[in-house]
Amino acid sequence: MWERNLQDLIRGLRAHKHDESRFIASAIEEIRKEVRGEDMELKAAAVLKLTYLEMLGYDMSWASFHVVEVMSSPRFHLKSMGYLAATQSFEQETDVLMLTTNLLKKDLTAARPLEVAVSLNGLSHIVTPDLGRDLYRDLISLLTHSRPAIRKRAVLALYKVFLKYPDALEYGMERLKERLEDPDIGVVSATVNVLCELAKQDPQAYLPFAPPLFLILTTSNNNWMLIKTIKLFGLLTPFEPRLVKKLQPPITELISTTPAISLLYECVHTCIIGGMLRGVAGHTLAQTCVTKLAAFLEDPDQNLKYIALLALAKIVPSHPHLVAEYESRIMASINDQDLSIRMRALDLISAMVHPNNLQSIVQQLLSHLTVPESTYTTVISATQSLSAAVSGTSSAPSTASPAQVSPAYRETLARRILSLCSADLYGNVSDFEWYVSVLVDLAYVSRAPVGEAIRDQLVDIAVRVRQVRRYAVQVSMKLLADETFLAGGEPGLDNEGSGCQEVLWAAAWICGEYASELTDTRKAIPSLLAPNVAKLAPDIIAIYIQSAAKIFSAWAVDLAARWDDDDLPEVKDAVTSVLSGVRQFASSEDFEVQERADVNAFRPKPKAEFGNGFADASTSAFDPIAVSEPVYPKSLYLLYPLFSQYELNPVAPEAQASVPVPEGLDLDAWIVPQAQPKIDEPVEVEVKKKKKDRKGKEKEKEKEKGAGDGTAKGKKSGKKKGVVASERTPEEILEAEELAKAKARRLEMLRDDPYYIIDTPARPRQSDDVDSIPIVRLDDLPPLSSVGPASRTATPSNAPSFPRPSPIPRASYAVERGGEMPPEATKQATPLSTPTPPPSGPKPRGSGQVTPARAASPAIPPPSFPTYEVHDDEIPTTASPELIKVMKVKKKKVGGTSTGKKKRLKDNDATPSDSVGTPGTS
Amino acid sequence: MIHAVLIFNTSGVPRLTKFYTPLRTPSQQLINKIFSLVSSRSPTLCNFLDTPELNALLGDRIGDEVRVVYRCYATLYFVFVVDTSESELGILDLIQVFVESLDRSFENVCELDLVFHFDDVHHILAEVIQGGLVLETNVNEIAEAVHASSQARKQSFQSANPLALGSGSGPRGSSLQAPIGWLTNRFTGVGSR
Repeated sequence: MWERNLQDLIRGLRAHKHDESRFIASAIEEIRKEVRGEDMELKAAAVLKLTYLEMLGYDMSWASFHVVEVMSSPRFHLKSMGYLAATQSFEQETDVLMLTTNLLKKDLTAARPLEVAVSLNGLSHIVTPDLGRDLYRDLISLLTHSRPAIRKRAVLALYKVFLKYPDALEYGMERLKERLEDPDIGVVSATVNVLCELAKQDPQAYLPFAPPLFLILTTSNNNWMLIKTIKLFGLLTPFEPRLVKKLQPPITELISTTPAISLLYECVHTCIIGGMLRGVAGHTLAQTCVTKLAAFLEDPDQNLKYIALLALAKIVPSHPHLVAEYESRIMASINDQDLSIRMRALDLISAMVHPNNLQSIVQQLLSHLTVPESTYTTVISATQSLSAAVSGTSSAPSTASPAQVSPAYRETLARRILSLCSADLYGNVSDFEWYVSVLVDLAYVSRAPVGEAIRDQLVDIAVRVRQVRRYAVQVSMKLLADETFLAGGEPGLDNEGSGCQEVLWAAAWICGEYASELTDTRKAIPSLLAPNVAKLAPDIIAIYIQSAAKIFSAWAVDLAARWDDDDLPEVKDAVTSVLSGVRQFASSEDFEVQERADVNAFRPKPKAEFGNGFADASTSAFDPIAVSEPVYPKSLYLLYPLFSQYELNPVAPEAQASVPVPEGLDLDAWIVPQAQPKIDEPVEVEVKKKKKDRKGKEKEKEKEKGAGDGTAKGKKSGKKKGVVASERTPEEILEAEELAKAKARRLEMLRDDPYYIIDTPARPRQSDDVDSIPIVRLDDLPPLSSVGPASRTATPSNAPSFPRPSPIPRASYAVERGGEMPPEATKQATPLSTPTPPPSGPKPRGSGQVTPARAASPAIPPPSFPTYEVHDDEIPTTASPELIKVMKVKKKKVGGTSTGKKKRLKDNDATPSDSVGTPGTS
Repeated sequence: MIHAVLIFNTSGVPRLTKFYTPLRTPSQQLINKIFSLVSSRSPTLCNFLDTPELNALLGDRIGDEVRVVYRCYATLYFVFVVDTSESELGILDLIQVFVESLDRSFENVCELDLVFHFDDVHHILAEVIQGGLVLETNVNEIAEAVHASSQARKQSFQSANPLALGSGSGPRGSSLQAPIGWLTNRFTGVGSR
């Protein structure tokens, strides 16, 4: 019989290029037979072949046992094959690993150093917590092996053992420290290497290693070791300030003398972490660093350029003025043809942005997104064709060319622009009209999924910056009229404007909310209700409909102000066009759209009739004599207040936190009780259901007890809902307690049972259960004394907590007005601004946190419609220092921001704001 | 730490794969992705692969600051996937050290050597890196250790198969392809001090 060895297999593979998979299948069949044989030589060859096939992506986990067999061979050449196969194929879960303990123990203590070396190398790949526990003592004793090669390997293997079995650390540390003074430099180097990795997890524990490390730093001239030592000191210095002083001279010397940029980079990095660049001496040091690094920016070697950018990015936060000198060079790197360098330059530039250079930087970044077709592709295709010619591959140009302007890079770039500008609440933006136009441009050219971010920022700016609203509305009108985004909704990111459809959401919202700024109100509506809008995403359509209604209402009010009876046909026209426009969406598949279309289509109808009638009346009644009555149909005013009663203001991030939790509300309690593992027998379910009722009541009672005299609220809701009556005898209560205890025990047991999947808490229970739970009669419960503390412990947090109709009749928003509007907007936006400065807490950053659509808050009711204002006096006063205006829910602006609120609801489920959200949906 | 060492040729066929950290992505997929990224870069660009795609591919396992350092020799790409505890330029030199060691033991190493002596390449790599940490950077010491262990394997094979010809691992492939020509690459960073 003729067996194939690895070389034959490889030759075969090369000969069967066309039916490779069939050849490999037959080879694996052969291997399966060979590994089962008695001949160790054959078995090892088979395992080696398998290892080769594993590299090509074929599974070899089935042969793990045979690998162990080969590992255990006494012959060195077979043993090393076995270990090689093990390092390549074993994973942490490989079960045969537990068979290797004794084998490894034997090999680690073998007489021949080469065998020890092979097993040490193998061990550092396959070590598991169990192997670590059983073998770390052998490893530690190998640290003093007579041969440096073994000591070196033992040090490195020990690191892997420490990772898997941390308990070994306390035994190994001291011995590891001794290795820092090893006569062999390789062993010292390995030890520093290991310490560098270990210190990443717990730097403080490695402070005692500092003295010997310092000695290495000052005496060694091995760059490998110096780099690692300096890295290690970079980890240690934050925990030992005295090290900084000590390290300063040697590191300064290294920085000024070393020609190796890698070492320089590490030194700079450590200097920054250790704060060595502070003070006068630090300043000169920083100067030296920056000058040296900047010189590398000019270097023709791209690698040095890359590292220089990396290092400069570390210095820039503390010494921006030093780096700023080289801004032009860095900007040039942004245009580099190398993506890696561009990425680093981008990082660096982001750290250098200030109000004066933001515009030019952003403009430059934008140009990257716009020009790639013309500039880059030509460059690429040239290099590409060259490399294709060299490698002999005929890769289509389309596949490789995006590497330069790959989608991921586009997205990174677009997001970077957004974050640059929005940083520190648009702190660097001085011209908001410019920024709005940048955002819109970005939506057009980015071709990356950043639409949501752009949308949020557009809305955020429109709300925060008053002066830009008119411009924003103009731009939004243009966006709405443009069909680019309507077409961009199709899959694929190749078209202009694709991936950013959400920007229409913002445009529609801005037009609707600031309809008063519209120049030609009437014309805005048709573009919002055009038939091809139906192609958009449902949430955008919803906002379109809503905005259309808002614009219509604004227009109606506007019209009424200069009412002329000749306008009547126009009103009728407008009403019918809105109605027909909205109706087309009434059959939309999306619930939200349908609902909105229905509501909106319905509303204008009676209004139209009413307006009609009124107008008729006015023509007949008021024509002859102009009475003191207004001459316009009042109905035109009906709609507007619904939308514009309250102005939208951004909500401070702390606002929610400063709303006091109403008395008697337990936010941690489940609204719907935690789903419990289902039990098969129906009887059991019955019992559980019964018990549930009781538990609900008990909880209720506890709450009453806890709330003390504040039970009135609970009682009220109880009265309203008092449906379920139950008279309970003491026996029943006892029984319930018994059952509850039993259940608690069972749950405890199930928790540890791996075969039992416990449902996630958030899952609602079956509907019948839900109905039966929270509606409990509160006013005729048995006396409190009948419920012992035992039942309380037996019913953990999975008991229902409060009745469904929330006992809190109202929820309130607090608005923190100061400190969150951009400077120029603050003055206007807050005429009633609080005298107290905003809390010194972290300033709200970016628009991510504060999106006004979600943050509708009644702040300053416009004076024209004072009837809706209901200041609430009974609200519990806040303990927080800042002035907070708390208002009743009902006077929440109706309908203005319902979509936003829906989203908001998701964020604070189960908080009292539930009751706030609902009136918003109009 | 070094997370992976990959060698593949200019058509993307893997010649050696060594993972020191189990990676979530299937290795074939990872190799293909890295290959497509690396091979699209022109030789004048820097040796660090730094793209947003890569972080998406490896980030969750290794951490944000994953770096791919690669070097191209004739028909082969040598790719090291490392994290921040390694110096980028240091790794670049380590690749050089590794290739020099290969060259020492194969004498004018070429791609075919790596193809047919896949196990030997692994043994050589094991003298440079152990478990993701650098073991030795001195080419002479590496060559010595490689020689010692290959001698031992040979002896062991001969004692087991006294009648066999050669060393059990077939004849060396004749130099069908150009030698890697590592000398054309210039030294930077660490080596220059």
